[in-house]
Amino acid sequence: MAPSSPSNTGSQPTSTTENDIQPFFVLHKASPRRKDRTSVWQGKCRKRNELSPSRSAKKLKLSTADDCDGHLDQKLQIETFEIVWTKIESTIKDVLRDLNDSVFSNIQQWIVECFRTTTLIGEPSIAEATRSFPLLNNTTPGKLNSAFVISRNIEFVDDVLTFEELGLFLKSHGCHVAMLSSMEFSLKNGIAGCLKALLRGFLGSAFDPADISTLASWYREQGNYNKPLVLIINDLERCCGSVLTDFILMLSEWVVKVPIILVFGVATTVDAPRNIFPSHALECLCPSTFMLVTPAERMDAIVEAVLVKHCTTFNIGHKVAQLLRNYFINQDGTVTSFIRALKVACLLHFSMEPLSLIQGRILADDQEGTSGLSPETMLKYMDELPLYARNKMVDQTKKSMAEGLSELATVQKLWSTVVLCLYEAGKYSRVQLLDLFCEALNHVLSPSRDSVCHTRDDKDHGLSAINDSSQQYSIMQSGGFICQIVRRVRDLPSGKLEQLIESWDKLTADISEIHEKLKILQSSVRCQDEQSAHRSSKDTERSVSRVSVDIDKDSRMSNLQAVTFLDDLVRNYLRPIEGMPFHEIFCFKNVEKLQLVLIGDPRRRIQVDLLEFHNILRCSCCNKSSNALLPSMHDSSIMYSLAQEHGDLINLHDWFQSFRTIVLQLTNKRKQKSKQTPLPKKRKDMNGSGDQNEAAIQARFCRGVTELQITGLVRMPSKRRPDFVQRIAFGL
Amino acid sequence: MDKEEEAPQIPRRTTRSLYSSSASTSNIVPAAKVSNLEALTINDLLVGGDPISLDDITSSFPGRSSQIHEVVRLLGPLNSPLLPLFVYGGASTGKTSIILQIFRHLKRPLVYSSCRTCYNQRILFESVLNQLLLHRKNMANSYTNAKRCERPSDFVNFLREALTGIVNNLKEKSEKLISEKKTHDGGMGNMIYLVFDNFHLVREWDKSSTILPLLFNLYDMLKIPEVSLIFISSTSPDTFYSNMGYVEPIPIYFPDYTEGDIRQILLRNQANQKLYSSFLDVALKPFCRITRQVGELATALKPLYEQYCEPLSDKGKGVLPSEDMKRRLFNHIKPHIASSLNDVFKVSSPSSREVETSKETKLKGNPKRSEEIADLDFHMSTSAKYLLISAFLASRNPATLDASLFDSKGGSDNRKRKRKASEKALEKKELLEEELLMKGPGTFPLERLIAIFQCIVSVADEPSDEDEQNNEELGAQCGNGSLMSDVLLQLSTLCNANFIFKGKSCPIEGSTRYRSTISENMALKQVARSLKFPLSKYLYRS
Repeated sequence: MAPSSPSNTGSQPTSTTENDIQPFFVLHKASPRRKDRTSVWQGKCRKRNELSPSRSAKKLKLSTADDCDGHLDQKLQIETFEIVWTKIESTIKDVLRDLNDSVFSNIQQWIVECFRTTTLIGEPSIAEATRSFPLLNNTTPGKLNSAFVISRNIEFVDDVLTFEELGLFLKSHGCHVAMLSSMEFSLKNGIAGCLKALLRGFLGSAFDPADISTLASWYREQGNYNKPLVLIINDLERCCGSVLTDFILMLSEWVVKVPIILVFGVATTVDAPRNIFPSHALECLCPSTFMLVTPAERMDAIVEAVLVKHCTTFNIGHKVAQLLRNYFINQDGTVTSFIRALKVACLLHFSMEPLSLIQGRILADDQEGTSGLSPETMLKYMDELPLYARNKMVDQTKKSMAEGLSELATVQKLWSTVVLCLYEAGKYSRVQLLDLFCEALNHVLSPSRDSVCHTRDDKDHGLSAINDSSQQYSIMQSGGFICQIVRRVRDLPSGKLEQLIESWDKLTADISEIHEKLKILQSSVRCQDEQSAHRSSKDTERSVSRVSVDIDKDSRMSNLQAVTFLDDLVRNYLRPIEGMPFHEIFCFKNVEKLQLVLIGDPRRRIQVDLLEFHNILRCSCCNKSSNALLPSMHDSSIMYSLAQEHGDLINLHDWFQSFRTIVLQLTNKRKQKSKQTPLPKKRKDMNGSGDQNEAAIQARFCRGVTELQITGLVRMPSKRRPDFVQRIAFGL
Repeated sequence: MDKEEEAPQIPRRTTRSLYSSSASTSNIVPAAKVSNLEALTINDLLVGGDPISLDDITSSFPGRSSQIHEVVRLLGPLNSPLLPLFVYGGASTGKTSIILQIFRHLKRPLVYSSCRTCYNQRILFESVLNQLLLHRKNMANSYTNAKRCERPSDFVNFLREALTGIVNNLKEKSEKLISEKKTHDGGMGNMIYLVFDNFHLVREWDKSSTILPLLFNLYDMLKIPEVSLIFISSTSPDTFYSNMGYVEPIPIYFPDYTEGDIRQILLRNQANQKLYSSFLDVALKPFCRITRQVGELATALKPLYEQYCEPLSDKGKGVLPSEDMKRRLFNHIKPHIASSLNDVFKVSSPSSREVETSKETKLKGNPKRSEEIADLDFHMSTSAKYLLISAFLASRNPATLDASLFDSKGGSDNRKRKRKASEKALEKKELLEEELLMKGPGTFPLERLIAIFQCIVSVADEPSDEDEQNNEELGAQCGNGSLMSDVLLQLSTLCNANFIFKGKSCPIEGSTRYRSTISENMALKQVARSLKFPLSKYLYRS
């Protein structure tokens, strides 16, 4: 699209990271409103000014001071972003690796086993293996060992990486690995294409007539046959079924000579191979299934590691969390896009929030953990901030702010511990961390929690209230996932409850406040256990039912105590970050901005840009008049504006005529001008080029129609109505 | 490695038996490495292996003795010329193995090429020439073929050259044998046989119209009496355009096995013959009704046999079944047979590492399949689910009913109206239903899909479920509009996952038609249930 390209080149910030994470910027660049800025970094500065309305008044005053600091500031921001993001990214990578580890080693074991069984059958000698006819042994025909690795996500983006890692993993464990993707199994290239890719994968170079006997010769040479051959095919569903079938039949002809082991990535269900292969191909496979971690589990692990455990590095507001969650559930469903969204949020945060630079300092200094964020260290970090950032703090004394920040950090730590405790309990009722996380961030609910907390605070935390059956827990009233978790804890059998308390013990080990409370809980539960054990031993002669009722009652008691403990935690410590002072420094809250980047809504954007092109082009000729169409406008803009006047169908001739009149306005004006200037020769030229002009207008018209067609706004004339174009997009 | 490559390539004329014994006894690495370098001799064109008698062959291929004897008769004694043979018959009827075994028995050289492995004419040509020229691909020649041969005319020339060479070689050898009078029947004769397996596949090649006549004509063209051709195909010679003026090959038909033959074949490699035979008494008949292909039957029966042996202590290794035990086992296996009949064409994938989960599903058993599929076990975004449902509806419902089903007045009202109407013309409806069933899923244009999608989404957003309430705060921003935002992306995802089939057409024209290929009850009910979507309300036939 012509209108967007100049803006793209002109004002795109130089940071490459932004380039590759904002796909819709290709079509649309957020339009700068003030055009007098020519700085490379203008985009960033503007965003910052526009997008934190709470501070905008203050900022406007300071904005003149900003400009001189701009360069330095920008560099710092990017540096900080990079520090923080590298940390987050490495955490994510570790988490994903750990998740896949067990499946990978399972697959590797399976491969080793398969390889062992094939070698047990007996290796054919090189002469036998390279001959063209099948080996004659009286056993049943060999089958291709194949693993179906089910990735359980219909989108395949996440798993491309997973399978790449699997390939590396297997290679490092002594296998010959080749990776093929569905691109190789296309109808166009046929079997030659995939064989070529196969040989390239194993032998490392291309062979022109790709022939499987080459592979057989290679495999029997120079000790290659000591290692298993593994072929990974990424996405089974996307492969062309007939080509893949041919390929498998061919491999099965060679299976004794080239005992290749297949690993298929299956996106949906185990049924997928049944739908793709005909029975005679299925017959050749000896299948096993492996399950990868579900995307939801993956997501939970990432949220746990990045947003809960390391919540002091970078966090997101409730609305942002909701957006990300909904995007994951409703739209995209890939962890990749979640990570990308997080990255965008991170970048936006650092570019918008000057004080966020402090995060980078904290991270850079304190590698071994963020345990001790005393006010003094905070103060130190703040002193190191650049002048520009310090200007923001004029109205607060530094000290109070430092104290606030360090308090924020401790509160955050508590918050994350509580969330983890809840999650641990939530595992019994299959609550996902992402949902829980969203709810825990919700500061709309928190005031009610606080108020209940205050009224009940003086009563007790204690055990006396437990028996009070009329007691209604605030967290249970509120509904939602926390409530669900608590309800589940109330009904938990005693064995599981003990497990749960133990896991809580581990989680809260370094948080003394919570840990003490847990100790009380533990001791009381233990005491009750002993009591009940004592009682049951004493009352052995009593009827069994009675005893069980007693035990039931006791375990119910301890359940209730656990619920009280949770309730206490939630009320006292589950304070969402957004309710705290200074949270803006650590927490990204701007949903609209993120949404714009994530869900680009490109078609709407195209329409808007076509209609309001001067926001992008900013030419001096067009923006003076608001509504009238001028010949100096871009052709497709003129045409699209004209198309607005038509209904479902646009008569091509009418459209052309109106286009022509608008375009010719300019030349008429020029003519008038040229009449005033006494230059007869030039006038002659104009007349002579009249025909040419007409042709040019037609050509421009045609180009405009094609452009609109390519952008998906109109459809070309059909055979039935040859002179009408159909409009496809209506309204914005 | 280097040392071996430098080592001179001395053609060591070892006899086949000596060579194979050395290779089989020593699986040690150095020995195998040495064999790397041996140049191929004419002996490598033999099938090799231990000598086998004709009786052994006939006994190992039950029900095939007439075919075997026919082939042997046609091949004739040593050095007798042979017109081209055309061996044909259904899949897994023993064509290839019988031919190879006969050659193993006769000890005559053959050049074998499977048209499956050699998937185009060039590779076929080069593979034949490689074998004739006794060429071996290896690292030293960087795995190249002996000759580069793309055109049929080149092939004929090269082939003639190579064949005369080989035939002379053979003649020399047999003369030597005769002069030395070592053996009178141990020689391999002067004949060389070119075997083309999977010949039916050639018909599907790009240049099949030229290559087929060429191959059929080869015998006439070469005019070398010592060369003979054998075609192995799974389709009859009539399926090749045969009246082209060349000598018609002699057809040999391998009919499908009878049930008795299949029984014998399946019994061949069983450890406990008696037990397996009693198992086959029970299981073979129903399966034979479905397929007679030995391979398919073997794969289908294997898991069933394991199940059959389950109650036995040592998995049926050394048990001799008594009548009583047979009856017990029969009762044990009876419920499984019917269900596994449907599984004949399916992969059952029990992984050794997932014993627990597979056990669980086993416990639930197949009859309760509807419960088993209670939830979707892979992740799919909400909008993709809605899109899938709308695609399914678009495929199932006639387009004329869209207006009444998705009218803005709401579904329930329409339903009543529809029901009344259907009562009036019940027969007509039944007919239509049948027709729909026979036709399968219909196609639909993109516009219709998106229209239905929008209707469904807008209807589904109205009732506030429990989940919806949680999202309420964000529902305003992210509920309706965002579900719609990248439908086309979701559509391509679904197409990639083979849930929606996309017809081939220019995407810009918009005339592409789609078809939902999802199996009705299984996945769709899962999807609809996971969304709590009242699917049956919108289905025409219900």
